[in-house]
Amino acid sequence: MIIEKFFNKWIMFFLILIPTCGVIFDEPYFITLATKVVILGIAGIGLNLALGYCGLISLGHAAFFGIGGYVTGILSFHALNDEVLFSWPLAVSGSSEMLIIWPIAILVSALFSFIIGLLSLRTSGVYFIMITLAFAQMLYFFSISWPNYGGEDGLSIYMRNSFPMVNTMDPLSFYMISLFWLLFSIFISLRLINSPFGMSFQAIKQNEERVKSVGIETFKVKLLVFVISGTITGLAGSLYTDLNRFVSPTVLDWHTSGEIMVFVILGGMARLYGPLVGAAFFIALEQTLGSYTENWQFWLGLILILVILYARSGILGLFDKKLKHEK
Amino acid sequence: MKNKILNIKNLSKSYGAFKVTDEIAIDLNFDEIHALIGPNGAGKSTLIKQIVGSVKHDIGSIVLDQEDITDLNDVERAKIGISRTFQVSSIIPKFSALDNIILSLLDKSKETFQLFKSIRKNKGLDAKAKKILREIELSDKSNILASELSHGDRRKLEVGLALAMDPKVFLFDEPMAGLDESGTKMMINLFKKIKTNSPILLIEHDMDAVFALADRVSVINYGKIVATGTVDQIRSNVLVRDVYLGYEI
Repeated sequence: MIIEKFFNKWIMFFLILIPTCGVIFDEPYFITLATKVVILGIAGIGLNLALGYCGLISLGHAAFFGIGGYVTGILSFHALNDEVLFSWPLAVSGSSEMLIIWPIAILVSALFSFIIGLLSLRTSGVYFIMITLAFAQMLYFFSISWPNYGGEDGLSIYMRNSFPMVNTMDPLSFYMISLFWLLFSIFISLRLINSPFGMSFQAIKQNEERVKSVGIETFKVKLLVFVISGTITGLAGSLYTDLNRFVSPTVLDWHTSGEIMVFVILGGMARLYGPLVGAAFFIALEQTLGSYTENWQFWLGLILILVILYARSGILGLFDKKLKHEK
Repeated sequence: MKNKILNIKNLSKSYGAFKVTDEIAIDLNFDEIHALIGPNGAGKSTLIKQIVGSVKHDIGSIVLDQEDITDLNDVERAKIGISRTFQVSSIIPKFSALDNIILSLLDKSKETFQLFKSIRKNKGLDAKAKKILREIELSDKSNILASELSHGDRRKLEVGLALAMDPKVFLFDEPMAGLDESGTKMMINLFKKIKTNSPILLIEHDMDAVFALADRVSVINYGKIVATGTVDQIRSNVLVRDVYLGYEI
């Protein structure tokens, strides 16, 4: 564990180093890539709480990622067109202020997580996987057939939403905003997993019957973890829309759920920095192998199989083991 | 009725045509250890599962401390004071022995939904858990992962988890299985001590332990209680000898 903490410090060092190199060598693309890693890392950190620490195999986290994304897209779309969002019972207009958009994205993601969790958590195992997948797909098909917000073509917002005294169109500034949320997500996760509540949900993953037998309401615990998890992923979706200045039904597709799950498994389940490492590895593969072949995901699949067969603790776990043997 | 903490009436459960428990009536007095014995497959563990609520019974009623708990689910029953051990050790394998006990203390101390308070800084829980580990003689193994404990130590830990809940009644399902002589002795002394606060319904195959501990013994066979009485009455009961296939008790 101490070695893992040492490795985590290196991860933080790289999070500073890469955008710095981008600035020094005038390669804003590096910064954009690093921002993408950071945002997808946040999405993975959200899922990791449910999947890695609580054992809830959700294949529907794209729903929350997409909801966060669409809330951001819709609010800024209305602000851009100077249209009201709805006029009854109160006239509410859109907004292009991140400080307004984030809380709304967080609240809406939390609300959807609560509703989906309330219904899904009555099932377990493969049924839980299927019902979470079904909810996400429902939202996916809904977004496709919603012409007001671009339907299948998606919604462009042209300008990133604004933040007081920061030029959000500057890649480094937006990276720093995303990095803040990453650190905040890590902080929240760390506090949660070391709390009595965290002890409860980590125990549920291992032996739910025992946890029930000591009087802990496992349904409520799982629901709250699911809501927190979905909310963090929703926040990532909001940032992702601002990064791309575009949101489309793709973010709600089950491929997105699968990718977020891949980040968690690749990096290491129930490891604080695992999803971030997984996301970085994923993006690095996409960039390197993707330049040689369109079918780079074939190699990703192969790597995933190897990780699942030989390194169940993910990349971080593998690194941890190697160091232990060297000692 | 007033000196009965647990009163079970007419409890029945069938799987198809097979009756696992058949109109069971059993009670537990304050300050008492009531042992439930019977051959394998007689329905002892299923009865425990019905009392704790993890198996839904078909008919019957369960009253705990004058409160009808028949319609409560397993978590609600645990909350109001039914604490159990499992026939096969059921612990949190990747938690240390200490953390297992702390987990068991969470609900009673209303800490479960403390989201951001560090569990490591909760001196109160830590002290209580360490006290329980001392009682079950596992102090020296407090930081060992539960999965790495010996079978006997896991049985002790299970009892520790039940103790931590400070319940109204204990339901112990073969707590001494796999314990060595000193472990059994420790457990017997512990049970004698704790029964004054929380009476015990004890399922146990170790007859020496049962006879050393029990104030009353009930014998179950094919899902029915066939005899109830003091240790001496049960020892001399011919039917009980038949149930145990000639085993001299």
